[in-house]
Amino acid sequence: MTDIPFKNPGWAGNTGEYDLTEEQVRGLDFVGVRPLEGAHAAGSASYPFMLAEKAPEAPLFEGGYQERFEKILSRYPNSRAALLPALNLAQEIRGHISPETMDRVAELLDLSGAYVRGVATFYTMYNKRPVGRYLIQVCTNISCNLCGAEDVLEAFLKYTDTEVGETSSDGSFTTIEAECLAGCGYPTCVQINSRYFENVTPQEVPKILKVLKNEGAAAPSSADEGGDG
Amino acid sequence: MGYPYSHEKEVPILSKYFGDPEARTLDGWKARGGYQALKKALEMTPEQVIDTVKDSGLRGRGGAGFPTGLKWSFMPKDKTKAHYLLCNADESEPGTFKDRELLRWVPHLLIEGCAIAAYAMGAEHIYIYCRGEFFEATQVLGRAVEDAYEDGILGEDAMGSGQKIDLTVHVGAGAYICGEETGLMSSLEGRRGEPRVKPPFPAAVGAFGMPTTINNVETLCAVPPIIENGGEWYRQWGTEKSPGTKLFCVSGHVNRPGNYELPLGFPLKDLIHDVCGGIPEGRALKAVIPGGSSVPLLSAEECETCALSYEGVVEAGSMLGCASVIVMDESTDIVHQVMRMASFYAHESCGQCTPCREGTAWVTKILRRIEDGRGTEEDLDTLIELTDQMTGTTICVLSDSVSPPVQSSIAKFKDEYLALIRRGERMGVT
Repeated sequence: MTDIPFKNPGWAGNTGEYDLTEEQVRGLDFVGVRPLEGAHAAGSASYPFMLAEKAPEAPLFEGGYQERFEKILSRYPNSRAALLPALNLAQEIRGHISPETMDRVAELLDLSGAYVRGVATFYTMYNKRPVGRYLIQVCTNISCNLCGAEDVLEAFLKYTDTEVGETSSDGSFTTIEAECLAGCGYPTCVQINSRYFENVTPQEVPKILKVLKNEGAAAPSSADEGGDG
Repeated sequence: MGYPYSHEKEVPILSKYFGDPEARTLDGWKARGGYQALKKALEMTPEQVIDTVKDSGLRGRGGAGFPTGLKWSFMPKDKTKAHYLLCNADESEPGTFKDRELLRWVPHLLIEGCAIAAYAMGAEHIYIYCRGEFFEATQVLGRAVEDAYEDGILGEDAMGSGQKIDLTVHVGAGAYICGEETGLMSSLEGRRGEPRVKPPFPAAVGAFGMPTTINNVETLCAVPPIIENGGEWYRQWGTEKSPGTKLFCVSGHVNRPGNYELPLGFPLKDLIHDVCGGIPEGRALKAVIPGGSSVPLLSAEECETCALSYEGVVEAGSMLGCASVIVMDESTDIVHQVMRMASFYAHESCGQCTPCREGTAWVTKILRRIEDGRGTEEDLDTLIELTDQMTGTTICVLSDSVSPPVQSSIAKFKDEYLALIRRGERMGVT
């Protein structure tokens, strides 16, 4: 894991009362690398579905993904119930859920395209449009709001030079406002792709963005480095 | 043990292994006495398990506080059709962050609790509905479930008992309304997460049309220690009507926010000023929301005497909900925060019922107008009338949830609204 040299590096463990590494707090050492095709079918739906790497044209589903899809299907009394996990899987691969993706998932589950559209548009986590490599969701609900979440949101927008929902010119970042992320004790809580950043302050925003850019070596570098805070 | 801070007044039962990464592993969990309760339960009859839970007086930790043992006993005894157990891990009430900690620190405690409950109710399949945003916590749980299957704790022959116990981790995709139990069932079935009219109640017609029980993560996590030690043991903490311990999620303006496991009935003022280290920079307390954003605000005076039990908070004029204590100090702009809560409900309304779909939007618009300094004094009456009409008129209680913060803030902090309306002055902002 990347060493993040600033206070509260994305987790709230370093309050001085627990001697834990970031991996231990986030459970990364326990989870390890999970196989693409899934392990036991019972846990096959639990994989992260917001990743930096996206393949919008990739087929649904083939190889290991097809195997995971079948494992997911096996856990429900009917195929309709596998719709949310199947859309999650589609988003994991393609990065967003386009109308074509909805139709394809409908076909796989023997549902109508209109039905899948109705369901997919109900849930906020399905990106109906392409997003940047990193989808930054800033909680501005009450607990975080009391502790300055709106300033954190402003900082992300400022340093990525975007408006809410817009993707930065280099395709790296899309920042949106999120409802409560259930990290109220660690304000401001920010979710970036599948990872929680806790206790985020506006001053730390440029550092977080820099770390993300370094992580995504493949991402084109931008003129806007965001400064060093 | 609370996380990320602990306090000597805590009674760590559920949170005993928070901050202990070894407890996540199957071996580590067993070394800490894990799965003994399930073993014991499988040697009891299902009725004995339900009776033990009834004896403990455990009440649902998801907000409503319904007695858990009683809820379990509503499930039909005949096994002519499939029965389901749903664990509600769609934690999204603003101010609540306990389930995420349980999922990521003690996943096996939840699995054990689910398995015991499924055995007691004859449920053939357990679904743990995790909120979509919980990528990390869900993976910890998923990994633990895989280990439990591999070890034969779950599966065709759970722990060699001959009982079949199946469990699946299901992942949602971001909708607050799916935390409502019938919305959760709709969502599990692959539909829009729209709540359903009750009756029929889930115990009669639930997920996939079959008898279903829905329990909160924290409720199910409290079951293994109760089975292991007995119902009476659990009653040594808490009050007569609210036995046991509870995770209190404290957020907002306190020095040491976090989850603390305390006996129910714990004094609110001690929680804020002692356990949580008081309010930063010596500022004064202004208001507290004791149970998540859907309950009335308490003023600083009301907090002085409030005991954090289900009945104690009602007596103080609010509700315990899921014990999500949101602390606001004197720098808080109450109108802005109420507007933020209202806009949350407007965003999350599923749109089925007109009073909710229209009401949440209008409440937000009126509050925004007041915030912009364009409000009138009549707006306050309109807000009260509007929220009155939104209460008790819809399928689920999302609509009802808007009324408590709006009405209580107008009743208790009317001067802040009037300052904005009459003089365009914001109060509290420093």
